[in-house]
Amino acid sequence: MPVRESVAGPVGRLRRYGTDDDAPLRQGPYRSPLRDERLAAILGASLGVLFTVCFLTGLYSHLHQHPVAWLPVPARPVGLYRVTQGVHVACGIASLPVLVAKLWLVWPRFLSFPPVKRISHLVERIGLFPLVAGGIFMVFSGIANIAQWYPWRFAFPAAHFWMAWVTMGALVAHVGAKWAITRRSLRRAGRPALVEADLTLGAVAEAPHAGLSRRGLLGAVAAAAAALTVTTVGQTLGPLRRLALLAPRDPQTGPQGHPVNRSAANAGVVEAAESPDYRLIVEGLVAKPLIFRRADLLALPAYEARLPIACVEGWSYSARWRGVRVRDLLTMAGAMPGATLHVHSLEANSPYRISYLNDAQAHDRDTLLATHLDGQPLALDHGYPARLIGPGRPGVNQTKWVTKLVVA
Amino acid sequence: MTTAAPSPDQPPRSGQDIGRPSPADGVQVGGGAGGPHHARGGLGFWLTAAGGWAVIAYGLWGVIHHRLDTRPANLAKFAVGGALIHDLVFAPLVLLAGVLVSRATPERARGIVQAALIVSGSLVLFSYSLVRGYGHALHNPSSLPHNYTANLAIVLAAVWVIAAVAVIVRLHRT
Repeated sequence: MPVRESVAGPVGRLRRYGTDDDAPLRQGPYRSPLRDERLAAILGASLGVLFTVCFLTGLYSHLHQHPVAWLPVPARPVGLYRVTQGVHVACGIASLPVLVAKLWLVWPRFLSFPPVKRISHLVERIGLFPLVAGGIFMVFSGIANIAQWYPWRFAFPAAHFWMAWVTMGALVAHVGAKWAITRRSLRRAGRPALVEADLTLGAVAEAPHAGLSRRGLLGAVAAAAAALTVTTVGQTLGPLRRLALLAPRDPQTGPQGHPVNRSAANAGVVEAAESPDYRLIVEGLVAKPLIFRRADLLALPAYEARLPIACVEGWSYSARWRGVRVRDLLTMAGAMPGATLHVHSLEANSPYRISYLNDAQAHDRDTLLATHLDGQPLALDHGYPARLIGPGRPGVNQTKWVTKLVVA
Repeated sequence: MTTAAPSPDQPPRSGQDIGRPSPADGVQVGGGAGGPHHARGGLGFWLTAAGGWAVIAYGLWGVIHHRLDTRPANLAKFAVGGALIHDLVFAPLVLLAGVLVSRATPERARGIVQAALIVSGSLVLFSYSLVRGYGHALHNPSSLPHNYTANLAIVLAAVWVIAAVAVIVRLHRT
């Protein structure tokens, strides 16, 4: 079957720019020797791995922020969330050049003519829409979010979370559709590739040509991913901090030498936090509700823990925190064992003004209501008069300006 | 990054023109349920399609069900808009840029220039909003703490210095 029949007239001229979905990627005007099935398979598989890692680490992060009773998140290891979320953001950033390259490689398929040949072909092509739209949306919205750029009106976490399911569903269907060709392409590891024609793959040899080779393209994409990683990952990986030229946060810049996501001024809590009327209340399913002034809190036995703050946006730092153990407060109040603890902030208008501690988290010896950071009283921006800090939690759940603990 | 310069001891090529696919490329060689380029409705295809679409439906249900947070119309604008902008504007521009670059660069530097452009383009795409300062928050000393314009310039300079060295080395070798 000839790949292209010559058709006269304007339709024929248009069809010269179309492609045949059953023919190799390299067709007609898109005849770059880089449009190769094996390269598409390698980039696709890389993207599949990156997206899957992002999906799983994202689910873990979601579980922290929207806890479910039947699957309580562990309080330890201390640095687990720091690692999973650091990996989530790093893989998301690294997938940018891989996604762009993969889409470039297969873009001529977008112009396939006739658009549909079989029922299965129709199903496959419809599935490409959620795949491409979802993939672009996930990478774009994630990168905008870490830069705290919100050109949209939806709530980022909800949109990013539900679109992740759309994207992953489309990925599953796409993997099924491309399984045979991908396996065939990848299995030929170490082929004398660049010099042999390969009709099974629909790929011909890469004849000498100026410009990037297939390996060169892969190398360039890998170099782009590496450059993005090296210039950003220092926001969570201390030793690379000085190389993090393009990171949206610096772990040593901010009040008391550490960054914050939201300042007290932007949270609208300055007055309430500095007020002499500030009280911390412990109530709910307790034998004896308690009320503390800040001075009362400072008079209680204090403990110190070295714990990381790991923001969902992928930056983190480790610091020395000092304060009252949450479990001591629960014991003093005679809290019902096994209950969930709701931690309320002074902040009024934030979806994160309440965080939750499951039983293991609430009773961990390092879960503190901190009053001091690195030996100094907490700065307002870090949650003065008192903030929650516990092991292995997302930064948004380390509630600042805590005013109420409710046992429920 | 090499441009596959053939060594003299390589076997002779089969003589095909890499510029155009030969009719043989389009022949279905795989046989059985799958052709070479995509599955043709085998059991695996339909199982993964059914499973995948069930997961897609779950995601779309979530978008609708949580519409106060997800704002489906606004979300659709960004999700659909992103795909359309990519497929109709960004990708054609990149193709065009690719043609121009391949015509404008000398052959022996071409691969290196292309690689440097891929790396630079990725860096620019990523840091665009940082350079523009879109996400900068007032009253927060830790918000976007760097001079991203200067930093991007430094990183791009490093990329092109490496590229220049690579070109010089290549010219020197040949």
